[in-house]
Amino acid sequence: MVDEKTLRDAVKKTVGRKDVKYVVGYDKGTTGFQAAPTFAYEEKDAEKFVFNPTCVNNLAVYPMLEDKPPLRKGEEPDTRKIGIVLKGCDSRAIVQIIQEKGLKREDVVIIGIPCTGVIDPKKLKVKFPGQHKSVEVKYDNDKFAVTVDGKTQKFSKDELMPEKCKECEYPTPIIHDILIGKEIKGVKKPDYKEIEGFEKKSLDDKWKNWEKEFDKCIRCYACRQACPMCYCKECMVEILDPQWVRRSVNLSENTAWNLLRAFHLAGRCISCGECERSCPMDIPLMKLNKKITKDIHEMFDYKAGVDAEAKPLLAMFKPDDPEEFIL
Amino acid sequence: MSGYILSKDNLPKFITEIMGKNKVFAPVEVNDETYFKEIKNPKDINMKYDNSKLPPKSLLFCQTETLFKFTPGTKVKIQPPDINNSKKAIFGIRPCDAKSFFIIDPVFKEDFEDPFYVTRRDNMLLVGLSCTNPYPNCFCTSFNDSPASSKHVDILLTDIGEKYFVEVNSEKGKKIVKSSLFKPATKADETKKKEVEKKAVNSITRFQKIDKIDEKLDKIFENHFWKEIADKCLRCGTCTYLCPTCHCFDIQDESTMIEGGRVRIWDTCMIPEYTLQASGYNPRPTRANRVRNRVYHKYNYYPKNLDVIACVGCGRCIEGCPVNIDIIDVVTRAGEVKP
Repeated sequence: MVDEKTLRDAVKKTVGRKDVKYVVGYDKGTTGFQAAPTFAYEEKDAEKFVFNPTCVNNLAVYPMLEDKPPLRKGEEPDTRKIGIVLKGCDSRAIVQIIQEKGLKREDVVIIGIPCTGVIDPKKLKVKFPGQHKSVEVKYDNDKFAVTVDGKTQKFSKDELMPEKCKECEYPTPIIHDILIGKEIKGVKKPDYKEIEGFEKKSLDDKWKNWEKEFDKCIRCYACRQACPMCYCKECMVEILDPQWVRRSVNLSENTAWNLLRAFHLAGRCISCGECERSCPMDIPLMKLNKKITKDIHEMFDYKAGVDAEAKPLLAMFKPDDPEEFIL
Repeated sequence: MSGYILSKDNLPKFITEIMGKNKVFAPVEVNDETYFKEIKNPKDINMKYDNSKLPPKSLLFCQTETLFKFTPGTKVKIQPPDINNSKKAIFGIRPCDAKSFFIIDPVFKEDFEDPFYVTRRDNMLLVGLSCTNPYPNCFCTSFNDSPASSKHVDILLTDIGEKYFVEVNSEKGKKIVKSSLFKPATKADETKKKEVEKKAVNSITRFQKIDKIDEKLDKIFENHFWKEIADKCLRCGTCTYLCPTCHCFDIQDESTMIEGGRVRIWDTCMIPEYTLQASGYNPRPTRANRVRNRVYHKYNYYPKNLDVIACVGCGRCIEGCPVNIDIIDVVTRAGEVKP
């Protein structure tokens, strides 16, 4: 249970600092089952900040999304810090970005939230289809209390949580400057049963499955944009010469895009699930990410985003690295 | 309003009749979501859908269109496109989506005539289906439209219990209701339709304030408001690709050593590349510029040029936005910003 007053006080204190530009957190949003990212530019903005099980977005994406228009003559770049409200899983993204030298630790002020799991908005939508004037989801001990149009129902967490929360290893942010509430120890372990089951299918079945999924893709790149690790200045799909991926939207190009995206996150994906959540076409992108995460864990005993001091997986070599997959 | 009646038992027969003369696209349910797909059997249609995941826009304005093919090299040979003029029908289109065609028509029909769009549009029959159970984020009534309006379809079916009330709105529609499946409607049927319509209108709970919005927007172009709205934008293209009226496109030549084609693909004003110039200069360098542009295009430029707001209130961009940029809220608040 996160005390919102403590959170708001921390946001106020942070945004009040001279060396902080703004703080990113969550407000209750305008519609549906989801909190929305929100920004505090001054102390009074902290009042709208909330934390509840609908706070699903990974806000670690925002420092990398900042617009940097060319400076006018005589204009100095704004080097002030960015404050961010982060859950355990989200913090891994910042750790990984720091590891890759995309950000410096001192560029961000992290308001950490020890998180006991969030809801999957898609699962809630299935439970409550149709019209709703007001929706509220609260933590209620080990359950979620969902109040829709004045009526409260309790659900077990497993029923409404996304897969990533069911196997969360790091409920408490790995790095933080302020922690809201007490640290929670991670006791869960990743569960690769679904991936192992899928691996056992025939090549033909696997291909058919992905063909069906990639065929839906509309190439809006929401998966890329929602991903805190996709922060290349120029994405390879935007390069015209050479054109690695064509703009035509068809199965072949869609497959190229989706596989390249997954491969470019090898050893970097921190399993926050934002790509899959953002996908308007419901493509199960985490299945691809998870397969790669599993392989990397098994082969190199490596996990992304847990140690800011470590080297990125693809930037290091150990003499005993397995190499049977090298042709 | 002189209407007709189609009994529910006769619906499959009616669809089969249309299928005899047209390729029929209709709402089909796939994994709890509805898409417009070509149907082979009337049974495949989901007559009770809320809102299709994607608008039927791509049936007229394809996401990828090959304008012509060519053989690359010094002896270029150009092969003109094969514009398909077969008869098609969209069965079960919602009044809002039908209005979106009316909104984008001038883009493809007026100053420059786009043969692809125009051919498809002229050969397209629109069989509307009134929306009796609007989605939580539907707001068509904000534009004085009705979820049961026949204005932009050839014929409109409204579910009034054990039968459909049928309204005719075009010459194409008149031909269709000549079929023996349609019977003249009674006064009671007409009243029932009005009741159903009223119930649907009343169940829409969200409203956008658009009173004099074009004039209000004129005064707040440089306002800080746009930065505040856009700070959370991820700059993906979801809102534009789910939008029934967004119609921007990009043109590219895509070729291999032996064959190539000039393709037209949907573009999105939410990405920096959209306005990036060859010099490297970008007139819309920030997300605030881009989010503002999308709102202005729909609520200011379009009404000024074509006298209609380029939004139909389908709510898809609200549902699809990963960060809750809510067009109802944005436009309503923009109207309240002090210049």
